[in-house]
Amino acid sequence: MKPVHILLLGIVLALLALPSFLTPGLVNAAIQMLIAALFASAYYLLCGQAGMLSFGHAAYFGMGAFATIHAMNAIGGTGLLPTPLMPLAGAIGGGAFGFFAGYFSTKRTGTYFAMITLAIAELVHALAPHLKALFGGEAGVSATRMPAWGFTFGSTNEVYYLTLAWVALCLTLLYLYTRTPLGRLTLGLRENTHRLRFLGYNTHGLAICVFVVSAMFSGVAGGLLVVSNEAANYVLFDAHLSASVVLNTYIGGVRVFLGPILGASLMTFFGYAVSDLTQSWLLYQGALFVLVMMYMPNGLAGLFGQIGQWRSRFGLAALIPFVLLALGAGLLVGGGGAFAIEMLQRFLSQDYQALASANAAGTWPPIRLFKHDWSPAAPGTWLVPATLLTAGAGLAVLARQWLRRLVQREESNRAAAEASVPGDAA
Amino acid sequence: MDWLLVSVMNGVVYGLLLFMVSAGLTLIFGMMGVLNFAHASFYMLGAYFAFSLQARIGFWGAILVAPIIVGAVGVVVERYFLRRVHQYGHAHELLLTFGLSFMIAELVKLFYGNYPVNYRIPGSLDFAAFAVGGLDYPAYRVLMGGVAMAMFVLIYLLLTRTRVGIIVRSAIYKPRMAEALGHNVPLVFMGVFGVGAALAGLAGAVAGAFYTTNPNMALELGVMVFVVVVVGGLGSLGGAMLASILIGTITSLSVGIDASLSDLFALFGARQWAEGVGGLLTLKVSSTAGTIPFALMLLILLVRPHGLLGEKG
Repeated sequence: MKPVHILLLGIVLALLALPSFLTPGLVNAAIQMLIAALFASAYYLLCGQAGMLSFGHAAYFGMGAFATIHAMNAIGGTGLLPTPLMPLAGAIGGGAFGFFAGYFSTKRTGTYFAMITLAIAELVHALAPHLKALFGGEAGVSATRMPAWGFTFGSTNEVYYLTLAWVALCLTLLYLYTRTPLGRLTLGLRENTHRLRFLGYNTHGLAICVFVVSAMFSGVAGGLLVVSNEAANYVLFDAHLSASVVLNTYIGGVRVFLGPILGASLMTFFGYAVSDLTQSWLLYQGALFVLVMMYMPNGLAGLFGQIGQWRSRFGLAALIPFVLLALGAGLLVGGGGAFAIEMLQRFLSQDYQALASANAAGTWPPIRLFKHDWSPAAPGTWLVPATLLTAGAGLAVLARQWLRRLVQREESNRAAAEASVPGDAA
Repeated sequence: MDWLLVSVMNGVVYGLLLFMVSAGLTLIFGMMGVLNFAHASFYMLGAYFAFSLQARIGFWGAILVAPIIVGAVGVVVERYFLRRVHQYGHAHELLLTFGLSFMIAELVKLFYGNYPVNYRIPGSLDFAAFAVGGLDYPAYRVLMGGVAMAMFVLIYLLLTRTRVGIIVRSAIYKPRMAEALGHNVPLVFMGVFGVGAALAGLAGAVAGAFYTTNPNMALELGVMVFVVVVVGGLGSLGGAMLASILIGTITSLSVGIDASLSDLFALFGARQWAEGVGGLLTLKVSSTAGTIPFALMLLILLVRPHGLLGEKG
């Protein structure tokens, strides 16, 4: 067994045992994480493997969700399919709409493709509230999970296991897809479309095919969300959902199959964990995405791969100071940034401004943050994030220098080794 | 008939506004090959900056200064963000600008709140230019159209009649050759990016006062601008102009049409059937005004995939 297999087995076992350790709220968060992971993985098939950037993937997610909810409500509420098979309706809904949208959007490639997917998603978002019979208007559509196969699906845990089973199945299928000839052709679509066409493949048909597969699995993810929430609303078509899947996928890393899954589950988990603490989570997510794009284009998964590579090049002992410095820099910059953003958010909020203007003396009342009272007028308040950010930047510079020294030492070692071998220089 | 005239005029003004934003986008795309997703965010920033400045330096001062600040933001984005990731390719640049647009929207929400701000046209400009069939036509719309026109005459003259213009055009056409002849091409790129951003900022500063200024305006207009460049053909200024006016007019006209597809079926005596089917068939044209440009885009993609005036390939 390879280490990867052991790791995967461990993750699956941990996921199976999870509900017995967690509160219902956390189990719900775990369901959201699984769904986000599947959605990101479906998206990765299109953007990472086929190289087609879609900015409107919420449309297929939403179509899957609405197909599922109508399937649940069909035949007087008994449902078209038994509850565990409901996401199949999502697959069909997402896939069917994916075929329609994919036919148009894959007529163009690159930038045009990205714009068309965005426009189709906006078209659906604009049209959905007007089609009350289909999308339920502002109120949305709701349904109930029916008992099936000896399960009542009344508890969160049963829904969790259902979601886990579906996500595990779909991720396996998506992985196996990459090993098929069609999966190889998908990579060809990204690398060199002209050559594929020259070899006699119908690239438009192929692109539609990949698009439909991606939309289908997005639809399954949407269906799972509906099975879990028992409701769907046209808000599912919102541009924000399309944006978050792009962000999650690229933060996780788009070069490895596990990258998007990692990114989506981490981001969803943090989103859940900090939702009570901050109102600016989306800003952090966006900032993280921009940082990833600029400094580590292969994402978090790429970062782990890079560290592994460096370890075998420089040795663990030489790398530890670098990792510590980089971690310290990351923590300081993150802390400083978060402090500044939270302080600004509280300072600029409507409540606080109203409070300050009611204060006749013209002084600023203190702001409570991280269990301390800070006065916005005192320079010390703003010195804290400034110091943290500067210190973080300093550590980052040190880390870079350390890495450069490692590379130099390796080069000089290699030069010395080459010089000591007689005859090689000649 | 008066209704038609007013609608067409409104549509043309809206179209000119769209053109003001999409022209910068097309210019930048032609030059760097990258679609700037954050371009509509510059439009939004223009409106918000003008709103903040208006209280200090008055409306006209704000209209002048806001685009300059937005242009500076554009220069920073090009110099310190886009140029860094250029080595990773166009898709990466597109994603970076996408992330930036997301971040700009969130920052705007942080500083100004997630609701429309009270940015209005000043009282001195709030009068009727002329009356059409008893209805006053606001002078501010005329002004918006005028600003857009004036801007374009200026840009056109700058590009075709001056030395700077010829260097810019050569840098767009053959960047390596222009560089070999001793021109600082990265500087030209930075400049054009800044000017494009400033143009979008100007459009925002002028239009934000008339339409609403809210954190969603970038996305709303941005999507429309993308439709414009797909319909017109990316990289073609003429196509952008044609598509902008077309989409502006169609949107403005369809808002006023109180009919649905079932009326069409009524001509064949099938109204009962159509109303029974419901859904799309009974949807009023006026309530789908926002979606008609998208439908037009899909139609164009079917019959002329490279856009109205775009080059093939």
